[in-house]
Amino acid sequence: MLRDYVHRLLRPGLLVILFIGVILLFFILIGKPPLQMFWSMLTYSMGDVFSLSETLAKTTPILFCALAVIVPARLGLISVGGEGQLYVGALTGTWAALQFPDAGLWILPVMLFAGAAGGAFWGGITGVLKAWAGVHETISTLLLNYVGILLVSHLVYGPWKDTANLGWPATRSFPVNAILPKFHATQIHLGLLIAMILAIVLHVLLNHSRWGLSLKILQRNPAVAALSGLNPIRQTILVMLVGGMLAGLGGISEVSAIQGRLQPTISSGYGLAGFLVAWLSAQQPMRALLIAFLFGALLAAADSLQMFAHVPAASAVVLQGLIFLTALIINQLPSQWRIPFWTK
Amino acid sequence: MSAAPRFSLQNINKRFGEVNANSNVNLDIYPNEVIALLGENGAGKSTLMKLLYGFYTPDAGEIVVEGEPLVAHSPKQSLRLGIGMLFQQFNLVPALSVLENLLLAFPAAPWWQWRRRRLTTDVLACLQRIAPDIDPQRLVRDLSVGEQQVVELAKIMALNAQLVILDEPTAVLTPQEVERLYQFVAQCRADGKVVVFITHKLADVRACATRIVVMRQGRIVGDWRTETVTDNELIQAMVGKDTGLIVNRIAPPKHLLPKLMVKRLNVSSRVGTITAMDFEVSPGEVLGIAGVMGNGQRALAMVLAGILVPDSGEVILDGVSINALAHETIKVPDNVAYIPESPLTNAVVAQLDLATNLQLRALDALPFLQWGMPALHEAQHKLAAHDVRPSDPHLSAGALSGGNLQKLVIARELSRPVQLVIACYPTMGLDLIATRNVYERLFAQAEQGACIIWFSEELDDLLRYAHRIMVLHGGRVQSIGPVASFDRQRIGRLMTGHAQAC
Repeated sequence: MLRDYVHRLLRPGLLVILFIGVILLFFILIGKPPLQMFWSMLTYSMGDVFSLSETLAKTTPILFCALAVIVPARLGLISVGGEGQLYVGALTGTWAALQFPDAGLWILPVMLFAGAAGGAFWGGITGVLKAWAGVHETISTLLLNYVGILLVSHLVYGPWKDTANLGWPATRSFPVNAILPKFHATQIHLGLLIAMILAIVLHVLLNHSRWGLSLKILQRNPAVAALSGLNPIRQTILVMLVGGMLAGLGGISEVSAIQGRLQPTISSGYGLAGFLVAWLSAQQPMRALLIAFLFGALLAAADSLQMFAHVPAASAVVLQGLIFLTALIINQLPSQWRIPFWTK
Repeated sequence: MSAAPRFSLQNINKRFGEVNANSNVNLDIYPNEVIALLGENGAGKSTLMKLLYGFYTPDAGEIVVEGEPLVAHSPKQSLRLGIGMLFQQFNLVPALSVLENLLLAFPAAPWWQWRRRRLTTDVLACLQRIAPDIDPQRLVRDLSVGEQQVVELAKIMALNAQLVILDEPTAVLTPQEVERLYQFVAQCRADGKVVVFITHKLADVRACATRIVVMRQGRIVGDWRTETVTDNELIQAMVGKDTGLIVNRIAPPKHLLPKLMVKRLNVSSRVGTITAMDFEVSPGEVLGIAGVMGNGQRALAMVLAGILVPDSGEVILDGVSINALAHETIKVPDNVAYIPESPLTNAVVAQLDLATNLQLRALDALPFLQWGMPALHEAQHKLAAHDVRPSDPHLSAGALSGGNLQKLVIARELSRPVQLVIACYPTMGLDLIATRNVYERLFAQAEQGACIIWFSEELDDLLRYAHRIMVLHGGRVQSIGPVASFDRQRIGRLMTGHAQAC
């Protein structure tokens, strides 16, 4: 009993120690003092209110993108389309916000809805292609990412560009009422609350509802679906719609709260980070909540390190990759060494 | 018994975790015997023979060969001693030819002797002797299960085994292949070899054994010469108590208005083809369907269950077309019980718990949000009533053995009254008592007026319990008629495609 308990704590503990080791090794390799840099990372990501606010601001889109991967993954679909869905959601949400420059506060839900709908549409394309034509979802989401990102570029360089900006590619600023409220003077915005509520709702739906059970059955043994009257086509499209919707919400909330206008670059790798978070969390929304926070901290720290310690910001991507790779390798170890973290 | 035993198992004990697989087993094997080792699932037959083969090491006890006790026994040593074993799972390489597989069996063949002509000739002669019709150049993956078994036997014979152990060899064979296996056993005996034949079928025992040893719960509970024992005594020894194992055939249906109608059915799909099939079934009728696996049974079962849409024709149950429903949602209708073949792949979700698996046919009845197990009490009751072991509803279905999975599916499908039962090999992997329970539940549905479509390879059971028999061959009805017009040989001939001739 006690031994089980120790084991349970020990294994994730080992994983964390290993991750820290990987980070230290990385700093040694790029010729920086490892312990000092690691300490800086901690302070730059959660040392004071400003850092914490940066971390939480980055946590928000990562969490949205992670949830957008988790829902399809519960049907066994591997979506890498968070990034594209996020861009398209930002695009349609921006469109709604800019339609009504003098709108009242009612524009907020309308804008969020438009963003969700745009993301859902983008995810839905993949769902329909998969359900009706058998197109592999990983390929189609991957390619649609480029289409979504370039679509935004096309609009902000062209038709939607604010001429008052001179050469700067961006739309007009959002009307005041279309900017998501922030918490005091920080960067933490309503999007984080929405994402956290959605994570809890998804936790309940996926683990305790009849719908979650249907997804489990379809994923584990599609042959049984006919016994239960489950419709794999409908569910495939549904999970992609829901996934796209979540990423789309992430996109519009980011643009509205943080950037205030649509620009060619909205995301600093949130789609990728969300994907990694989803798989590290074993497709559990509540675990994704915690891991998204850690990845948010990593991104926030990398931003600051770039400014203050001349470490390239791309380090964050390298570290994310290393952490993910470490988890993958550990998962391949003999079972007594494996961390019960990933497999579920 | 004559002279000294050639092989002797003395006071053998073997435990697996909590289970005593063998306790204090003593068995002497004399020259020129064919021993049938008889017993229920899990009686310890296979374990005992795997100990003799050296696959397992006994916890206590000795194995004596020709008077010499064995030390550090192993399959390698068995090879030297001339002990060969046919396992239930074959050890063949599907991508290699028959000849290459046979040559692979020789442990000492160094690579430069891979194509050594002497060896090749010897091996081919051996194959020729027991199976002249198998082309040694064919790839193993193209062989039927029965043919693969013959290749395994050829391997054992090529290694010049003096003791041949066969582990449930007839479980996977067609009647004709079973006959050939019996001849093989007789041939072995004529050549002065000893055969141990593990089985739970009495037909096997009667066909070839000279001596019958019955095991139950890890012990030997009976040892007879074949001619001195009756079937009833054997059954009693196997199950341990006097249970009426024979279920009575239920009365044939009285009113003959068809309840299930299959009209001009044509199917061409990856699970099989059906060509111009027509038949009707009355309420309360048991229609037994015989045929070599892969002759359209699977497609027929799926079409009847409403989960495969036919190319043309239709299936009508109580005046409602089952296939018209399938165009909307693919679903087995609620008034149909469907017991597919291989429950692990077709009927349960291995990763989900037993309670949920029991609910699979009625997901809509579950509340939308659910914190604990669905219908826990009902599940416990069903598991106990159908003797599913272990009966903990929290366990995942993947933890059950094949026979218990079969019971789980039957518990789900036959616990409520239905109008049509489609049962595909419902007793596969079950022992005598469980088989009897399945038949009782199956026929109880017929007594309440359901149509029973019963696919089976147990021809004796089909002949004993079905009202009518239909034989499939190549996706067509080769023959259909009242059970009285069939016997084993006739069904066997029809199954292999011989026309009506009898």
